[in-house]
Amino acid sequence: MDIFANLAHGFAVALSPINLLMCLIGALVGTLVGVLPGIGTIATVAMLLPITFGLPPVGALIMLAGIYYGAQYGGSTTSILVNIPGEATSVVTAIDGHQMAKQGRAGPALAIAAIGSFFAGCVATVLIALLGAPLTKLALAFGPAEYFSLMVLGLIFAVVLAKGSVLKAIAMIVFGLLLSMVGSDIETGASRMAFNIPELADGLGFATVAMGVFGFAEIIRNLDHGAEMNRDLVQQKITGLMPTRKDLADSTPAILRGTVLGSILGILPGGGAVIASFAAYTLEKKLAKNPSRFGRGAIEGVAGPESANNAAAQTSFIPLLTLGIPPNAVMALMVGAMTIHGIVPGPQVMQKQPDLVWGMIASMWIGNLMLIIINLPLVGIWVRLLRVPYRLMFPSIVIFCAIGIYSVNNAPVDVILAGIFGLVGYWLIKHDFEPAPLLLGMVLGPLMEENLRRALLISRGDWSVFLTRPLSAVLLAVAASLLVLTVLPVLRAKRDEVFTESEN
Amino acid sequence: MADTMGHSATATRNTRLALGFCLLAIAPQIIELIWSLGTIPGWGAGRGPGTVVTSHMTALLAGAPSAIFGSFGGGTKKLSSEVLLALIYSYPLFVLAILTFFMPIRSAQDYVGGVVVMAVALFALWAGSDLQGMRGFSFGAGTAPRMFGGLLVALSAGIALTGLLTDGPALAHYSWRGPLFVMAAILFFALAIRPLGLVVTAFASFMIAVTGSHETRWLEAAIVGACLTLGCAILFPYVLGLPMPMFPRFLIQ
Amino acid sequence: MISIRALTGACAAALASLGTFIAPAEAQTYPTRSITMVVPFAAGGPTDVVARIVTAHMAQTLGQSIIIENVVGAGGTTATTRAARAANDGYTLITGHMGTHAASVPLYPKLAYHPEKDFEPIALLAGTPILILARKDFPPKDLKEFVAYVKANAEKVNAAHAGVGSVSHVSCELLHSILDIKPVGVPFNGTGPAMNALVAGQVDYMCDQIVNAVPQINAGTIKAYAIATPERNPSLPNVPTTAEAGLPKFQAQAWNAMFAPKGTSAAIVARLNAAASKALDDETVKKRLLELGSVIPTSAERTPEALASLVKNEIAKWTPVLKPAT
Repeated sequence: MDIFANLAHGFAVALSPINLLMCLIGALVGTLVGVLPGIGTIATVAMLLPITFGLPPVGALIMLAGIYYGAQYGGSTTSILVNIPGEATSVVTAIDGHQMAKQGRAGPALAIAAIGSFFAGCVATVLIALLGAPLTKLALAFGPAEYFSLMVLGLIFAVVLAKGSVLKAIAMIVFGLLLSMVGSDIETGASRMAFNIPELADGLGFATVAMGVFGFAEIIRNLDHGAEMNRDLVQQKITGLMPTRKDLADSTPAILRGTVLGSILGILPGGGAVIASFAAYTLEKKLAKNPSRFGRGAIEGVAGPESANNAAAQTSFIPLLTLGIPPNAVMALMVGAMTIHGIVPGPQVMQKQPDLVWGMIASMWIGNLMLIIINLPLVGIWVRLLRVPYRLMFPSIVIFCAIGIYSVNNAPVDVILAGIFGLVGYWLIKHDFEPAPLLLGMVLGPLMEENLRRALLISRGDWSVFLTRPLSAVLLAVAASLLVLTVLPVLRAKRDEVFTESEN
Repeated sequence: MADTMGHSATATRNTRLALGFCLLAIAPQIIELIWSLGTIPGWGAGRGPGTVVTSHMTALLAGAPSAIFGSFGGGTKKLSSEVLLALIYSYPLFVLAILTFFMPIRSAQDYVGGVVVMAVALFALWAGSDLQGMRGFSFGAGTAPRMFGGLLVALSAGIALTGLLTDGPALAHYSWRGPLFVMAAILFFALAIRPLGLVVTAFASFMIAVTGSHETRWLEAAIVGACLTLGCAILFPYVLGLPMPMFPRFLIQ
Repeated sequence: MISIRALTGACAAALASLGTFIAPAEAQTYPTRSITMVVPFAAGGPTDVVARIVTAHMAQTLGQSIIIENVVGAGGTTATTRAARAANDGYTLITGHMGTHAASVPLYPKLAYHPEKDFEPIALLAGTPILILARKDFPPKDLKEFVAYVKANAEKVNAAHAGVGSVSHVSCELLHSILDIKPVGVPFNGTGPAMNALVAGQVDYMCDQIVNAVPQINAGTIKAYAIATPERNPSLPNVPTTAEAGLPKFQAQAWNAMFAPKGTSAAIVARLNAAASKALDDETVKKRLLELGSVIPTSAERTPEALASLVKNEIAKWTPVLKPAT
C-alpha cells in the first residue's frame, strides 16, 4: 500500500486555497456551533447543507467534516464554563470541567481540552489513513448482540461516573432509560407514553432534556443563592490561563488513554462514539490513586473524555469512508451532500474518489491544527466572559438555550419541555440526584432496547446469544467485573470513604 | 440534626409530607382537570372539566376497589384508563402517604426523593399499561417500559428506605423567584417565537428572565438585552442559516 | 385527551391575532414573497434531495425564493400535519412521499390529516424504484429461487427494514403479502444501519430504494434479485425487473410529490404545477434526478389529477397490506 503517495495526494488536495478556506470555515462554524448551547451539530449540518450545493464536492465535505469535529472542540467550552453540555459526548466534560471553572481554573480546563482534542485528532487521523480498511471489519463484527452488551457496559460506566450514592445513580440511569422510551416504538410503531402529544411522538430530544436538567436547572439553582453564586464564579481569583506543568503531567497519560479508547470505540457505528467519553472517564477514575477527586475538579476527568470524544469523532469517519455507510445522523447528512453532488458513497469510494477520501483525511489533520490555533487564544476570551456579572449572564444563557432548542425542530413545545426539565433538574439537585447518569441512560436507552430486541428477534428469543458470541461475552464480562469493582467498596464499611475524603 | 429538632416538629413535618404525597397521588388527575379547563373557551379538543372530574372521582372511589374485588372473582374485563391510573398510581401513593404519617424519617431528602421518583415510575407504568407485552419470543412495545418501570419502583423504594434507616440531610430550601421568572421567560419565548418573531421575543424573554435575580439593574439589563437581541438576530438566521421568523407576523403581511 | 399542542397553538394564535389581517390572495401576482416548502424528512435524505433539486429550478421560474424547511418526526407525519393546517395561500407547500401521503393512512390510525381530504395535489416529482436485496452469501441465486427459499424457510429468514413506515418496511410488507408469508422483520433505525447489517450478513434480505443500494451492489457486498418497476433501471442494467424474474405482481415505487393545503386556489396550483413540470423538463434537473436512480414522471403523470388518482390508488394498495401489521 502506498500510504505515503495517497497522503501526499490528500495533502495536495487539502492544501489548495479553496479547500483550506472551506476547512477554516468548517472549523470556525463548528466551534461556534459547539459553543452555542442547544444548537446541535446535526441541526447545523442540516441547515448548512444547501449552501454546500454550490461548492465543489470535496470542499463541501471538508467543510461539513470540519463542522462535525469542530463542534467537539467547541462543545467542551459551554460544558466547562456554564455546565451545559451541547452533545451527549460532552456530558462528562461538564462534571469535572465545570467544577474546575468554579474553582477559578476554567483556563487550564479549556486549554487541556483543546490540547487533548488536538492530540487525539491527529492520532486518529493517522489511524484512519493507515488502518481504515482493516478496522472496518470491527464495525461489521458488531451485530445486535454485541451492541447490546456494549450498551450494558456503557450503563455501568454511568454508575462509576456518579460521585454520590450508587443507588441514586442507578435510579437516575433507569429514569433516563424510561424517558428514552417515550415516543414511537421502532418495531411496532406504537406510541409509547406520548399522551397524544405530536411533539412527543418521536421521543424527547437529547438537547431538550440536557438543556433542562443541566442548563436551566443550574441557572435556577444559582439564582437560589443569588449573590453568593455570583461571587463564587467571578471573584474567585482566576489562576492562570494555561495549565501548569503539574496539570500537563497529570493529563498526559489521560490523554493517551483517552485517545486509544476513543479511536477504537469511534469505529463502531451508532453509539460507539457516545460511549467513548464515558469509557475514558471511567477508566481515569478507576486508575486514579484517589478517585474521590473526580467530580470535584480533577483535570484528568477533562483530559481523558475530551481526547476520547475527539478521537472517536475522527475514527467514526471510517465506516463512511470504507463502506459508504453512515454511522450516525451527521454522517447520513454528509452522504446526502455527496449524493446531491452525484457521488454515492459505497465500498469503492476509496478507489473511485481518491481526491475526496484522501483530501478529507488530510483536511482533518489540517482542521485539527486550525482548531487548536483558534481555540487556545480563545481560552482567554472565554475566561474573561466569566467575569460578566451573573445577573446579565443568566438571562443571556436562557435566551441562547431557548433559541437553540427551538431551532432543532422549530417546535415551541420543545422549549416548554426543556423548561419543565429545568424544574425537574432543580428538584433533582435539591435531592442530591446527579443528572449525568440520567442523560447517559437516555442516550443509551434506545440503543440498548433496540439492539436487545433485534438480537432476540434474530436468535428467535434465545438469550444465550449474548454469551455465545465471543465479543459480546467479553463485553459483558468486563461490565460485570466493573460493576463488582464499583459496588464492593460501597458495600464495605463507610469508614473507608471517610478516610479517603480526609486525604484531600 | 434530626435529634436536635423537637418531637413535635418532626410530627408536623410528617403530616405535611403525608399531605404532600396525597396531593402527589392525585396530581395527574388535577393536571388533566386544569388542561380540561381549556376546553371551556373552545381551545383543544379534550374532554370537558365536568367529565374529567366525574370519571376520575368514580374511578378513585368506586371503580378501582370494585376492580380489585372483581379480579378475585376472575373477571378479566378491560379496565378503563382512569381506573388503571387509580390502581397503579394513586393507591400505592396513598398507602405511602399513610405510612409516612407514622414513620420516623431520618433523612427527608432521601425519603422524599425516593417517594417522588417512585411516583414517576408508577406513573410510567400506568402510561405504558396500554402497550402490548411480550409477543412470543419477541419484545412488545410495552415490555421494556414495564421492565424499567418496575426496576425504578424497586430502586426508589431502596432510596426511600435509606431515608428511613440512615441519617442524612433534611429537605433543602426552595426559592420561588428564580424558577418562576426563568420559567416565565421560557414559556413566553415558546408561545411568542412564532407569532412575534425572534427580535421581539428574545428581548421580551430576556427582560422577563432578568427579573429572576435580586440585583437587577433595569437600564443595564435593557441595554444588554437589546445588544443580545441584535446579536442573535444576526447570528442565528444569517451566520448559521437557521430559518426563523424575525419580526411579528402582522408587520410582515 | 390532554393536548399541549392544542393549547399552545391556541395561545400562539391568540398572540398572532393581535394584529393579523389577511389580505386576499391574488393569484395573478402570486408569488409575491418567498414560499416555504416543508420537507417531512431530514436534510440530505432522498425526499429532501429531490425537493431541493426541483425547487431550485422552480424558484427561478416563479421569481421568488423557495425556502426548504425540514421538519422530521413520526415517519414524516408531524410535518405533514403541520402543512395540512397551514394557511392555504400557496406560501406553504409540502413535498410528500409514498409514506406520508399513502402508507400513513393504514399505519397510523390516529393520523391527524387525510392525504386526499386535506391536500391539493400539485405534481408528481419523481419515482424511486425499489429493489429486493440480500446479503452476498444468501443461498438463492435468482428471484425464483429466492421466492422458493423464503417460502420454505419463512420461520428462519430475517428481513431487515429501516423502521415502521419506512419505504423498506412497507415495500417488504407488500412482498410478504404477495408471497403470503410472515417472516421476522428486524427493525433498524434508518437505512444506513439496516444496510450495515445486510453487508455484515447479520440479516438475510431487505427491500430498499435504489439510491442506497447501487454502490453496494456494484462492489459485490450485497446482491440484488430484482427491481420492482416495469422497466430496468439504467444505473443497474443487469438487475432484472420483477416481471422478467417471475414475480410480476410485486410492483412498488417510492414516489415524491408536491402538495398544497386544501383550498389553495386552482390558479395557484396550476402555476405551481407548470413551474414543477418545467423544472422536470430541464436538462440539468433531469440529469441529477437520473443520477439518483429516480424515474422522471411523464407529462401525463405530472398533472394534479394524475397525482390525485395516484394517491387514491396508493392508499387502496397499501391499506390491505399494512392494516394487519399494526
